[in-house]
Amino acid sequence: MVPAAKISITGLGIVSAIGCGVEENRRALVEGQSGIGTTYSETLPEGLLVGAVKQSDQELLQRLRLPNGYYSRTSLLGMVAAREAWDGQSSHPSLRTGFIGATSVGGMDQTEQFYKQYLQGRKVDFKSLITHDSGYTMEVIAQDLGLTGYVNTISTACSSSANAIMLGARLLQQGRLDRVLVGGVDPLSMFTIQGFRSLMIYDEAWCKPFDDARVGLNLGEGAAFMVLENEKSIEITGRLPICRLTGWANAADAYHQTASSPDGKGATLAIGQALQKAGLFPEEVSYINVHGTGTKNNDLSESIAMQNIFGDKLPPFSSTKAYTGHTLAAAAAIEGVYSVLALRDGMLLPNLNFSTPLAETGLSPIVELQTGQDLTSVLSNSFGFGGNNSSLVFSSNGY
Amino acid sequence: MDQIKQELKKQIIEQLNLEDVAVEDIADDTLLFASDGLALDSIDALELIVLLEKFYGIQVVNPEEGKTAFKSVDTMAAYIQQKTAQ
Amino acid sequence: MHYIKAASSITHQPSFQQKGFAADLSPLSVAGEVIAPNYKEYIEGALLRRMGKILRMSVAAAKDVILQADAGQPNSIVVGTGLGCLLETEKFLTNTLTLTGMLPPTAFIQSTHNTIAGQISLILENHGYNMTHTQNTLSFEHALIDARLLLDEGQELVLVGAADESIPFLEEVSRNLLTASLPVLTSGASFFMLDTRVAEATVAIIDVKVHFGAEDRGAIVFDFLKEHDLSYPAIDLLMTPLSMQQQGLDSFGKVFAGTRQHTYLDYSGLYPSASAFGFHMAIDMMQMDRRIGYTLIINNLSANSLGLILLKNCEA
Repeated sequence: MVPAAKISITGLGIVSAIGCGVEENRRALVEGQSGIGTTYSETLPEGLLVGAVKQSDQELLQRLRLPNGYYSRTSLLGMVAAREAWDGQSSHPSLRTGFIGATSVGGMDQTEQFYKQYLQGRKVDFKSLITHDSGYTMEVIAQDLGLTGYVNTISTACSSSANAIMLGARLLQQGRLDRVLVGGVDPLSMFTIQGFRSLMIYDEAWCKPFDDARVGLNLGEGAAFMVLENEKSIEITGRLPICRLTGWANAADAYHQTASSPDGKGATLAIGQALQKAGLFPEEVSYINVHGTGTKNNDLSESIAMQNIFGDKLPPFSSTKAYTGHTLAAAAAIEGVYSVLALRDGMLLPNLNFSTPLAETGLSPIVELQTGQDLTSVLSNSFGFGGNNSSLVFSSNGY
Repeated sequence: MDQIKQELKKQIIEQLNLEDVAVEDIADDTLLFASDGLALDSIDALELIVLLEKFYGIQVVNPEEGKTAFKSVDTMAAYIQQKTAQ
Repeated sequence: MHYIKAASSITHQPSFQQKGFAADLSPLSVAGEVIAPNYKEYIEGALLRRMGKILRMSVAAAKDVILQADAGQPNSIVVGTGLGCLLETEKFLTNTLTLTGMLPPTAFIQSTHNTIAGQISLILENHGYNMTHTQNTLSFEHALIDARLLLDEGQELVLVGAADESIPFLEEVSRNLLTASLPVLTSGASFFMLDTRVAEATVAIIDVKVHFGAEDRGAIVFDFLKEHDLSYPAIDLLMTPLSMQQQGLDSFGKVFAGTRQHTYLDYSGLYPSASAFGFHMAIDMMQMDRRIGYTLIINNLSANSLGLILLKNCEA
């Protein structure tokens, strides 16, 4: 068999509640600074705890220096992160370049403004609806960077951007593309906030991932993208690999539309197959960035899945959801960036708001930042509605 | 009390869109969540909470509380009576 | 090589379980209703009661494909949808804007794009790869490319399909946004079982390509055919959403002057992933007439997106 092509990560871009850009995010992670707080947005419920990006649409527009037009917050956030990751690269005749974004609600932030006025019988501008659909959201970002050809959008709820990253890796490995920009974005919207409230899993206080007293999640917003390149591409672009993407898998839980199975079947399959793809034994994983939303159901099911794979030799793990909130389709890309930073800088990220381990499993996450660690491989989990479970493995360059 | 139960059965069928179930199919003590009962699931439990708020003005803040109250039409009716009497 | 083992479509046309349906279709002048089977024969009541139109159509078509293929569980399930579960999305959106207090969660749960693929996995108890692509008019082509990647990675059987649903509000949007006179808005679900093994005379997928961008379409089509050592006259059947004249592409139509040309959008009606219906029509026509060797499906419904699918009739 031909040895699998090496896939290098050569660029990162991110905007989240804890900052705009990789450096701001890194600093907040190190300082243990959560971005979750009450909002003053006119369109969101007052006093609700959310992980909002601190810039308004208007500020984002100015920052991006865009021509007049219709933009969803989704596209604006996406462009901020995608531009940072892409870093002004140009097209090259012998490099096949692609773009894969992920979003769960597309331009819902604009649609709900429109629909509110529409229901009130006010004069409405139908043109603002062009930003609604998810595919359009990504086309705007692709156009902003001058990317053409293979441009695609994945939508699998909370695991969406893990699947976008994974699809990019598969296209590279099968020689269909040489480099690909992959990631995801979701904005805060009344639609998703009220949705998770209707499921009674929205914590009105700070979310407490992996804590026995957890009651639910806080939603957040943001975007993250990363550049994946094969060896031929790196030779031409001359960009330096930060680390490699070595493992990926997606599996269906096939248990329930919203709840995860008590035996963690889908999650166990995803983690196991991702490690297998990376050629790693479980004990070779240095750190796990868990999905850890802070809901009763997810954290227990994920704990069981990790025990299924790692037994009593569970690597250090933490959820970073208490920093950013749950950013839905952006979550896996944002946490992918954090996993890459953990690997690059040799640090274990703390799980904020934790005090008591789950009664059922007794698992305790990392609660204090640990630096100077020698990490070789990091596992990142993302699980979504419809039993959509994905895991990614990032490994250091030499590994 | 019997009237509440009859009303409840109608409301449950409507709220949960139980297309193939008639009021007569639900006994007062039919277990709503058992597989040999109505085989409802966690989404239905949330819909029942909505039902209580919509028709009876009862707010169930803790979903765990619903679990005991939603065993059967009997227990639901008793819960409604207890809450509305408060 | 990747072969079509089974196909099923639920649409506004009598396409469900009708071999040879493509031969005598009449264009839709009014949208009317979806011609649906009795869903209870395909979906158990407990799940059916929560499903909107797009889910019922998709799950029934997927189930029909599984039954026809009679080959057990697919390794993976891949779905394309342009606009997703619109009915449930609109319902929950309306609730968030009009109701106070606790909202019914069902519409929210069913609103995400991947509900379609997720529900299929639930019904089949399938634990394989489960994916949802949403790229406007190219959603089906993207799903097809993913399915083919999986088969090239060693899988043997992949269920792939596409679905979209129309809601009354969409009519109002299209009246305000679309200027061209397009076919009526409709709903449709088409599913296919792809297999790496060939058991009988069937249709093979030779290649699928997508292109976003406003480059010269003629050159892209020419290069696509050239990659397979084919030129325009080698194509026996050309499928396009609308006629070249309707799309103002007369010169493009001329290079295929000797080729039998067929449209699909006037039969399917307009929905983002309608090329999946065109794909099914082509397969049906090829199975009915084995003299059709190569078929090219050009999806140029959107001005900035191009989808190309190359099919070939194969003997066992």
